[in-house]
Amino acid sequence: MQSQGYRLQFTSAKIEDLMYRTTFDPKKEEGDLVVNISVFKEEDAEAILNIFNKTMSSGLTVSSYVKLLESGDTISGYTIEENMIGIATVCSITVDGILLKSGILVKPQFGGLVQIKDGVPTRFTDVLRYESTTIDPLEVLMSQEVTSVSRMLRTGSGKILASLRGAPMIAKDDIESTLADMIDVGISGILEVGEPNSRVLDVNVQRDHFGIAVIGGTNPMAVVQENGYFISINAMSTLLDIDEMQLIDDII
Amino acid sequence: MTDPDIERKLIEIMRIISESEKPVGARNIADELNTRGYNIGERAVRYHLRILDERGFTEKHGYAGRTITKHGTEELKEALITDRLGYVINRIDELIYLTDYDLYTKKGKVIVNLSYINENEIDDALNIMKDVASLGIGISPKIKIFDEGNDDNVIVPKDKICIATMCSITFDGLLLKNGIPVEPYYGGILKIENNVPINYSDLISYHGTSIDPIKIFMSRKSTSVLDVMETGTGSVLSNIRYIPSSAKEKAELIIDKASESDILGAIRVGNSGEELFGAPADIGKSGIPIFVGVNSIAAVEENGINVTTHPISTIIDYCSMKKI
Repeated sequence: MQSQGYRLQFTSAKIEDLMYRTTFDPKKEEGDLVVNISVFKEEDAEAILNIFNKTMSSGLTVSSYVKLLESGDTISGYTIEENMIGIATVCSITVDGILLKSGILVKPQFGGLVQIKDGVPTRFTDVLRYESTTIDPLEVLMSQEVTSVSRMLRTGSGKILASLRGAPMIAKDDIESTLADMIDVGISGILEVGEPNSRVLDVNVQRDHFGIAVIGGTNPMAVVQENGYFISINAMSTLLDIDEMQLIDDII
Repeated sequence: MTDPDIERKLIEIMRIISESEKPVGARNIADELNTRGYNIGERAVRYHLRILDERGFTEKHGYAGRTITKHGTEELKEALITDRLGYVINRIDELIYLTDYDLYTKKGKVIVNLSYINENEIDDALNIMKDVASLGIGISPKIKIFDEGNDDNVIVPKDKICIATMCSITFDGLLLKNGIPVEPYYGGILKIENNVPINYSDLISYHGTSIDPIKIFMSRKSTSVLDVMETGTGSVLSNIRYIPSSAKEKAELIIDKASESDILGAIRVGNSGEELFGAPADIGKSGIPIFVGVNSIAAVEENGINVTTHPISTIIDYCSMKKI
């Protein structure tokens, strides 16, 4: 029979929970960030970590901070299986969490695919609203094999994963200064900040709001997948203290 | 980027050209634009066409008019994301309006999904579909097969066969034609244990995506229809729509009557605000979860046969569909 009291949680609710639990303070450089855990085969480790390093150093991610997890390691109740390696990478929801903790409520709207032409982001070409899906939109798009992040790295043109949030116009100065503080400590990934009441990357914003497009933390995983390696993304999303993380350069 | 208003007209012109098999002239484009609510004259259309030619999206063929280029077809798939976010649900609304199958006279059109399979794998595919149809989770056994050069304007590439399966959105058309305001809402993955549906493991709304939810689940390979066939336990595709709870009884009658025409798959009609299988429901609304028609195609794919599927594709005469 139908299980009682069971109700699906949509991504928008999961995101708000993660935003609320973010404690990272860019000025003090301490606190918890939102991370995605991806899992891959031990035998592919060298090749995959090189891909991560290359993609991250090109700026196609939120941050170069990572944490490696070996088989048997447990994070938030999730255990890495035998012969597998886990990697925690910073999720773009961290940006929303940090803004929230500085008193600004931004509303994550959707994840999608942004077309880049000769290094310039032009528009969203596919999107899924967070409130419409129980699966992370960027994970959905990866499974459709519609990304071309590798081509973007090679030629400067391609389709990458990104997400859009709306922010109140009145807080623009505060937001810009918080974003600048974040970039100083290595959390960047801002793709485009729109003007108030104007479309950003071909998408309309709410009245008296402006759009902020953030590069998806899952782009390195998309490159790994485009290169034919197995990678399981979003085994789970959780919080992790920045002190437990290292820059990818220092690991390889 | 040019002005959004101009951009929208450019896209609409490209849509009109792409929908025609022959080259289209400025006069006809202007007429069609007027039908679609764009107040624009022939001269202005010519101006817009020049922009499209310059961008390489359309091509001029002397006096015959213009056709769309490959580059233009790609542009149509990528441009105006805000419009395309509603594309899936708009297409559904259009097709349920066009559904006119009458449960009493047993005549009229229903909505189908189109799937393309290699010619040499068609026999295997049909055998699997036959097994799924006999599964008893209520998937319509009626299909129609198209090959190259059919009379229904279904384009079938060489060496491919196209199979039309009954689309569950047909139910929405039937409900609408019986005066029930119906809202197709989520596509999802429904877990089955011992041949009984337990709960949805994932849902994606038809309203908030530029890609069809059922297509998403199919390419994520999230089904295990073959397991359900063998052991009674696994995951299948299902969607859910909402109707006003006051129409519950009438909806139940329609579903009952539909089964006489082999239009199957409705699981049950929920009570007001009842959360069926974990899907949310508002007070005053009743959910109707239905097993979708492409479950049989999902089983074919699980068997390693290559299939391309376009869910909620078109409408065809139900009488022309045959039992598998």
